[in-house]
Amino acid sequence: MNKIDSFPEKYFAAVPGIIGWVVLSARTAFARVGASLLELPAMPASIPLDDWTVAVVDWLALNLGPFFDFIQLMLNTINDALLAAIQWIPIFVVEIGGLDIRFPVWSLLLFFLLWYLAGQISTGLLGLVTLWLAANFGLYVETTETFALTLTSALIAISLGIPSGILAGISDTVHNVIRPVLDLMQTMPVFVYLIPAVIFFGMGAAPGAVATVIFAYPPSVRLTNLGIREVPQELVEAGEAFGCNYWQLLMKVQIPVARPSIMQGVNQSIMLALSMAVVAALIGAGGLGGEVVRGIQRMRVGQGFVAGLAVVFTAMILDRATANIGARE
Amino acid sequence: MPSIELEGVYKIFGDEPEKALKLIDEGASKTEVREETGQVIGVQDITFKIKNNELFVIMGLSGSGKSTLLRCVNRLVEPTKGRIMLHSDGKDYDITSAEKEELREVRETQVSMVFQNFALFPHRTVLDNIAFGLEIQGISQEERERKSQELIEVVGLEGFGDSYPSQLSGGMQQRVGLARGLATGAEALLMDEPFSALDPLIKVEMQDELLDLMENMQRTILFVTHDLDEALKVGDRITIMDGGKMVQKGVPEEIIVNPKTEYVADFVENADPSDVLRAETVADKDFRLDENDKVRLDELTEVELGDEGEVLKGYLSGTPVPIRPLDEYERIEEEALLFSSPDTPISEIMRARLDYTSHPVLVLKNQEFIGSVGEKNILRGLLEKGRGE
Repeated sequence: MNKIDSFPEKYFAAVPGIIGWVVLSARTAFARVGASLLELPAMPASIPLDDWTVAVVDWLALNLGPFFDFIQLMLNTINDALLAAIQWIPIFVVEIGGLDIRFPVWSLLLFFLLWYLAGQISTGLLGLVTLWLAANFGLYVETTETFALTLTSALIAISLGIPSGILAGISDTVHNVIRPVLDLMQTMPVFVYLIPAVIFFGMGAAPGAVATVIFAYPPSVRLTNLGIREVPQELVEAGEAFGCNYWQLLMKVQIPVARPSIMQGVNQSIMLALSMAVVAALIGAGGLGGEVVRGIQRMRVGQGFVAGLAVVFTAMILDRATANIGARE
Repeated sequence: MPSIELEGVYKIFGDEPEKALKLIDEGASKTEVREETGQVIGVQDITFKIKNNELFVIMGLSGSGKSTLLRCVNRLVEPTKGRIMLHSDGKDYDITSAEKEELREVRETQVSMVFQNFALFPHRTVLDNIAFGLEIQGISQEERERKSQELIEVVGLEGFGDSYPSQLSGGMQQRVGLARGLATGAEALLMDEPFSALDPLIKVEMQDELLDLMENMQRTILFVTHDLDEALKVGDRITIMDGGKMVQKGVPEEIIVNPKTEYVADFVENADPSDVLRAETVADKDFRLDENDKVRLDELTEVELGDEGEVLKGYLSGTPVPIRPLDEYERIEEEALLFSSPDTPISEIMRARLDYTSHPVLVLKNQEFIGSVGEKNILRGLLEKGRGE
């Protein structure tokens, strides 16, 4: 004890030196022996999964052409119809102080719609201001395009997602099959399936919608499934004890009780649809994403920023409009 | 009129129940069965019959299999072995062998259920919750509303029809649960610890109301609880379960007076027997007639008996006094001796002694004097729960 206590402090000065020496000699030694270990030779794939993928994609494009054409037509039709319905509502232009200030009628409609959906006047005002600003920042057409693409894709994703979620919720087999598929859909880098989407559906809104649906589908499934599975056992028993058949149990007990969770899934799907609808601009889907992409490509920082801001506001509108639907009643 | 019969009902949890059944036949215990086969015994060889209009209580601690057994009766839990018969609406249903559709029909019309945590549907109003069973029966909207409105009044929730369950207190929620159970018109009612989740005061109130309701409605009830006081209070008969087995069955007083096993005795130890012990059980029945046909009950009190054992006269300190029924003591102004029936709970005698007289209370069975209840008898009854005279 005494010996350690009286260890002279001056020796501590040697500690950094010792560490330095150890590190240096290790590095030297490693540099001599390890160089060959570190630089691995290039290793070409022994199993050519990439070639096989190409083969499959080519085969599909060649043989299922009419099917993909039909999907493309359907998606374009829905998207265009929605877009037309939105853009049909006129914009009034008033000259104020030498500036053409635009007043889109939609901003007023949106005001009431959001007020109704969210139950708060502030959300209505958010919509009013956003659309008014979009119109006067020169982004009106782009905003409506993004809206249309988002809604088209979200609509499809949700109408496929909720039934899948219900099936997964009541059947473990479906649940086990669908789970890895959802993982794949959500974690596969989006650019990977943007490319085949173009091969199958050409450029434009249709492949964008397909990619968006793939991305926006999982949360509806997951949250519906979760909601159904989390219905308290006692409530299911109560349904059964009063003589519900399978269908009645589902429609009168499980789905209504799971409703808040399902609506959360709807909200999530819409939000993811928006984020993907923006990225889909890379394959010519247009909209606000197109502005962002052009801004980046031409180094126009301002153009990119304004379009980006418009995306943020659009997201807020969509979120507020759908977040409260499940909570009402 | 409904009655429910259980015959050798077993429930084994696990995927190889046959192995477990075989071991049980060989006399293995619950633990041995679990260790050897991995199967868990839920309930084991239960046989009893619930009579028409009876409130039959299954009592036991958690894990004793009481809720499992209750669920076997409407097959929310599938019994492994045994037979469950329901006689209801003039028809005989063999629950255990019923096909899906028949079983569904039984649940819809013959047997309903009340749950421990109420199990109300959060998305439905009180009225719609009550009407749930009727909706499943396919009854028209108007009729449903009329019936549920009626039941809302029966359970005392007038004005809450449009509220949602989350807006109600626990006691009120269970009233809705009870109303929903009664609404279908099913005459057999399964109650799974219906009052266990309620505050003690509300619980007592609900027990009283259930008893009141049962006087006006014809219902055969299987009632599960872990609370002996509750079992003693509401039960016409009680069966006590331990480890999936039925350890004792009988009317409340039998359980208190004569607990068959250590397990039951432990329960009884902490129960309040005053509502359960009857006058006849605690009475001093060991009396002697003197040469004048008089019986001396204590230093002051004497009664004179007739040839049939009927009481002719009562005396206090040698002075004749009238003899009046116990339940009228509040209206008696002069000094009198009280008499009770053999079935009067001693709690009532205690109350009368406290408020009116300290003299022994006579116990008469069809007019015949069979004994008297004095202070000592009551104290002994309470301390010894009627055992060991």
